[in-house]
Amino acid sequence: MNFGIGFKLSHLQSMMLFALLISIAFGFLSRRRPIDRVKYIVWSLFLFLLIGVGIGWAMYPFSR
Amino acid sequence: MADETATLAAPPQDSRSETIAFVIGAAGWLVPGLGHVLMKMWGRAAACFLTVGILVILGTAMRGNVFSSSGSDAFDSLGYLADLGTGTFYFVARSLETKGPDVSHAGGDYGTRFLAAAGVLNLLAALHAYEAARGRKA
Repeated sequence: MNFGIGFKLSHLQSMMLFALLISIAFGFLSRRRPIDRVKYIVWSLFLFLLIGVGIGWAMYPFSR
Repeated sequence: MADETATLAAPPQDSRSETIAFVIGAAGWLVPGLGHVLMKMWGRAAACFLTVGILVILGTAMRGNVFSSSGSDAFDSLGYLADLGTGTFYFVARSLETKGPDVSHAGGDYGTRFLAAAGVLNLLAALHAYEAARGRKA
């Protein structure tokens, strides 16, 4: 990291952080009631991670 | 005749509300969350400001590429447009990234995506504020 924070993120950590932030933004933008927002955030995060890891495994045979 | 008068009188009000909606959308683009603040949607405003801000700070900290207007190919130009989507945060990103980008590592590559995603997300939020100001269901 650049300004003295001194930590590095792995691929998985970066993807999880990205998925979490985008899910929160989508949840707040697309739902009005707090309970609906929480459900949407959890569901969106789950799908982000599932599809991200799924695509990673799908590409594995072609990585070498 | 009365109907005709009403029809003729309507456009200035529509035009005014359309202008206000446009100003709210533009404000939301310039400062993430400001459009929703003007609409008194506090939760959405905070979420937009924080998520876009965190994505920009992380993107620059990971030494992602903050594209400039002097891009040499279409991908640079598209990246510039995406980065510009963060509004004033684009200049924050440029001022924070003093060492320049480093996309030779995965972190830098992810940083570039974080910055682009922040821009596109902010454009989506600004469009949402614009639509809400126009009276569409939000």
